[in-house]
Amino acid sequence: MKILDISRRRFVQVAGAAATAQFPLRGADAPTAKAMVQRLQSALGGQWVTDGVDGFKAGDPNTPVKAIATTAMAIMDVLKQAARSSANLIFTHEPTFFGRQDGPAPPRSDGFTGLSADDPVYLAKKEFIDKNGLVIFRLHDNWLSRRSSDMTAGLAEKLGWAKNRVRPDDGLYDIPAATAEETVAHIRQKLKLRGGLRAAGDRTAAVKRVLLLPGFTTAAVMLKRYREADLTITGEVREWENTFYAADVFTAGERRGLVTVGRVVSEDPGMRVCAGWLKTVVTEAPVRWIPAGDPYWRAA
Amino acid sequence: MTGREIVELVKQKVGVPWREQSYRDTFKFGDPDSPIKGIATTMMVTFGMLKRANEAGLNMVIAHEPTFWNDRDETKDLLNDPLYQAKTGYMRENSMVVWRMHDHMHSMQPDYTVVGSLRSVGVKGGENAGMRPGVLPIPETTLGAFASQAKRRSGARAVRCVSDPKAKVGKVLLGPGYATPRMSLDTDIVVGGEQQEADGLFDNVQYVADAASLGIPKGLVMLGHVVSEQAGMEDLGKWMQTFIKGVPIQFVPADEPYWT
Repeated sequence: MKILDISRRRFVQVAGAAATAQFPLRGADAPTAKAMVQRLQSALGGQWVTDGVDGFKAGDPNTPVKAIATTAMAIMDVLKQAARSSANLIFTHEPTFFGRQDGPAPPRSDGFTGLSADDPVYLAKKEFIDKNGLVIFRLHDNWLSRRSSDMTAGLAEKLGWAKNRVRPDDGLYDIPAATAEETVAHIRQKLKLRGGLRAAGDRTAAVKRVLLLPGFTTAAVMLKRYREADLTITGEVREWENTFYAADVFTAGERRGLVTVGRVVSEDPGMRVCAGWLKTVVTEAPVRWIPAGDPYWRAA
Repeated sequence: MTGREIVELVKQKVGVPWREQSYRDTFKFGDPDSPIKGIATTMMVTFGMLKRANEAGLNMVIAHEPTFWNDRDETKDLLNDPLYQAKTGYMRENSMVVWRMHDHMHSMQPDYTVVGSLRSVGVKGGENAGMRPGVLPIPETTLGAFASQAKRRSGARAVRCVSDPKAKVGKVLLGPGYATPRMSLDTDIVVGGEQQEADGLFDNVQYVADAASLGIPKGLVMLGHVVSEQAGMEDLGKWMQTFIKGVPIQFVPADEPYWT
């Protein structure tokens, strides 16, 4: 029975797309942000993670959706672009309000004070969101649980390396031979980087195989895999752990390197994949990707 | 003198009760009772730094940060790691002893990591600062000009900044290493070593970028972890010279790991 080969997720996608194509909805009849998220939940198919960071972070979930934007991080510049293009539902991978808490927080017992409810940057950002009728949903845990390597595939595609993946659903790619320095220049250009990229290890290393690990990479993961590639390319690490391991490996005479491009900028291409996927699930509203970009510049 | 005797002297002079439960401020490698020819103070026990110390005839390293790439210097998962084997092999062969001085440095008055960090970026008024120096005034300048000065004076290769380089700034809040302070209303610039970029306790990068977009001038200057605490380890060595006699003490900097 061939039909058994169609996964539940795929079935919902096909069924959902067919149903919505038949009844395009407009204006006041457009589905609400809440309905869109419910659609997305069923389309993702698996167990919806509720004890993580995902959820509505700003705006009214009952707002009818005109257009959708995905981004690695809902920074002000992204929100301005979204508002200009009439996108009023934003799926962001990282927080909106300056931390995992994603909003005002009472002081902690150790004396750390988080965001206060009368913080002027918080209030101004919230005012912009409300004035423009934006609704923001953090899509982190559930997007990552969809398939482990969408963020990786997105980054590889953006870097022009998608076709030589060593193993399915993994971060190893064979790329055109070049030195570490040349590869870094290529990455800078393809990801439109400003000042966020930092590289450690052997700048003259001959690079043929790279390991792509978008987002944050723990030392435990990196140490386990560091010797599988000539160049490990990730978003963010701890300098005092991972970066010094890479520097020590070089001192010990191994010809490898570590490149950190910035956490958010490494997640941008994966949220482009997310936009592409959303287009297969949502047909009533246009979906676009708005990259958050590289926030850093270098001191001259 | 042995490593243990040197550490005992430091404990007596540090000026705060010694916390034996600190997992950081302990011997990390070598025999504490072996004789010490010379002491190298440094920010981080990198392999390159170990070699330079050994070549200078210094077989004890006093470092602010770890040796084995994790805060607790756990080694149980590293025993088969070729780099761990090479690094420990080198230290063993050269009878080197490593001791970490972290938690107690941050409770000393002054905290040399903070004093050194403020000096290394050209901010005055923190000569006797503790771990939390508070907001310090600087002659009014722009974020870009301040960042250039910080880069030039600290010698850092990879100083990353966020916000508008033309923003007018006159107040600085600095925290060393991973203790980059959160941006607050009473300062214009935060200077730090490193900090998680997003999804942390308080995401400075996003806050400062958004503030700039909303016309609120703030600035973030990230020096890198080593650069931000390196100068303080030279100060620690000078302080130790006032009460440790007969054993040479030298500052052997750890290299900034970045080539770009």
